[in-house]
Amino acid sequence: MVVFSGLDRPRGGAYHAFWGCLFFVMLFGGCWVMYQASKSVDYTWRWYRVPQYFYYTETVDVRSEIEGEVTDVATRDNTLLMTVQGSGETATYTLPDGKSLLDEGDFVSMGDVLGTYEKGSPGVLMTGLWITLKVSAMAIVLGIVIGLLTGLARISENPALRWSAITYIELIRGSPLLVQIFLWYFVMGTLINTILSSHGFPQVPSMWFGILSLALFSGAYIAEIVRAGIQSVHLGQMEAARSLGMDYAQAMRKVILPQAFRRILPPLAGQFISLIKDSSLLGVIAVRELTKATRETVSTSLQPFELWIVCAILYLVLTFTLSMFVQYLERKAI
Amino acid sequence: MIHVKELNKYFYVPHEIHALKDINAHICEGEVVVVIGPSGSGKSTFLRCLNRLEYPQTGSIVVDDVDILANACNINKVRAEVGMVFQSFNLFPHKTVLENLTMAQVTVRKRSRKEAEDKAMKLLEKVGIAEKYNAKPEQLSGGQQQRVAIARSLCMDPKVMLFDEPTSALDPEMVGEVLDVMKALAKSGMTMVVVTHEMGFAREVADRVIFMDDGQIIEEGTPEHFFSSPENERARVFLSQIL
Ligand SMILES: Nc1ncnc2c1ncn2[C@@H]1O[C@H](COP(=O)(O)OP(=O)(O)OP(=O)(O)O)[C@@H](O)[C@H]1O
Ligand SMILES: [Mg+2]
Repeated sequence: MVVFSGLDRPRGGAYHAFWGCLFFVMLFGGCWVMYQASKSVDYTWRWYRVPQYFYYTETVDVRSEIEGEVTDVATRDNTLLMTVQGSGETATYTLPDGKSLLDEGDFVSMGDVLGTYEKGSPGVLMTGLWITLKVSAMAIVLGIVIGLLTGLARISENPALRWSAITYIELIRGSPLLVQIFLWYFVMGTLINTILSSHGFPQVPSMWFGILSLALFSGAYIAEIVRAGIQSVHLGQMEAARSLGMDYAQAMRKVILPQAFRRILPPLAGQFISLIKDSSLLGVIAVRELTKATRETVSTSLQPFELWIVCAILYLVLTFTLSMFVQYLERKAI
Repeated sequence: MIHVKELNKYFYVPHEIHALKDINAHICEGEVVVVIGPSGSGKSTFLRCLNRLEYPQTGSIVVDDVDILANACNINKVRAEVGMVFQSFNLFPHKTVLENLTMAQVTVRKRSRKEAEDKAMKLLEKVGIAEKYNAKPEQLSGGQQQRVAIARSLCMDPKVMLFDEPTSALDPEMVGEVLDVMKALAKSGMTMVVVTHEMGFAREVADRVIFMDDGQIIEEGTPEHFFSSPENERARVFLSQIL
């Protein structure tokens, strides 16, 4: 990994040990300074509060909807079943892993608590993470399709195709993503949804405008990556394929693109990682992805330090997993 | 087999070059024609025009009774009948040797996989590298790669084979093995147009030698005549430099 190695006298073990140690000293020193600084402003770290934003359980009260007598309390497969018999009507309530507060024969009036059970739900950060994942995955898939088609159009001989591709790429690369998100949501979104509703169709949720703006944004960059990848394949490959009688599309599909694919994987991975990180901007159009979820949680919990650190780590986990996956693909594609 | 008339080819990038000037040539069935000439004289351009890898501005080229410069011409069909071997082999590096040979048979000739593989193995045997069928091109020596490239073209059952300096990129000790394959091919009656600097090959195999200089065909004749008593001054100078 060292670019120019072996040009100078080889370094000894002490050299590596000293500078290696220094690295860890700096790492832990940095954390320690952070910690001391936070103490000096009287910040109380409460890491134990973080897990509840991923998953929390709450106690649900089950209330009777009718007036009558509890005729049956039975447990089947860890599920509590309570039956209430009133005048001419019966109601059965299921309480998974529940606890009964009444016995058979007790009398209940409408709205009385029959029993309780514990219900687990994903917390705000978990849902935020899930939405980020969903939005990114869909934008990546869409972006690949757009990018591949645009890349092919970009090198096409047909002026309509080529100029369309160039116009699209230059337009997208020439303005900030945030502005494009606003454009899609406030301009295109308003137009589309107003027209849809005037014809009696349901509205398109804001998440889809978010996905579309991300996909179109990265599509333009992917198109340039695809074009560069195709151009990096030696011209002789196309000539050899065509001289055997294959047409342009066959030669592209069987000869050029498979070879280009391996070369475009690393820059493509970088593009996907950018896309995951850029999805944090979608909070501005009311998509509750990870960053927006964190911000909301921070404003209610007053634990900004822990939550923002956790938020960053979650993004790191996503991007790191992706780049590992791409490296695996790269090794397989050899 | 091939009739070339009044062919003119210009390149405009990076600057204007008149690469082929009024070329007339006829290549008969079963004939082996060797094209020689100094660097930049237009030999490759001429050869590449014959399967339209270059599109000439004026003139006509008729290959196997098909006018390949006509709008109505389906060039892919013609190219399938015209094999081409490149100086730099141009094997498909992401495919094995066998896949290199079967790809076009399946996609262009619509042969079944089995049929294509049988044909490929037969031709690999013919060029003497059947045992390498499962190797990737990068694992082969230059001479082996070029023989695979020749076999790849032959798989399509071409009526003509074009060779553009097939041995120029090879180490000297590998030139012989490729020339041997080409000689055997010539003996089998294949129509061949060969651009080469291998004068030995020209003398031994060619039915006719075409000498090009500055985009023109300057001299044309049997190898005996051309090598012993060339009429043109420039041909004499070229021969004295190369021999
Ligand atoms: N694609 C191209 N674009 C521009 N000029 C070209 C192109 N191909 C060839 N030429 C020019 O056309 C002339 C003839 O080139 P060509 O490659 O046919 O020569 P050649 O006889 O094959 O030479 P060599 O023995 O070096 O291969 C040269 O002056 C060359 O610079
Ligand atoms: Mg040449």
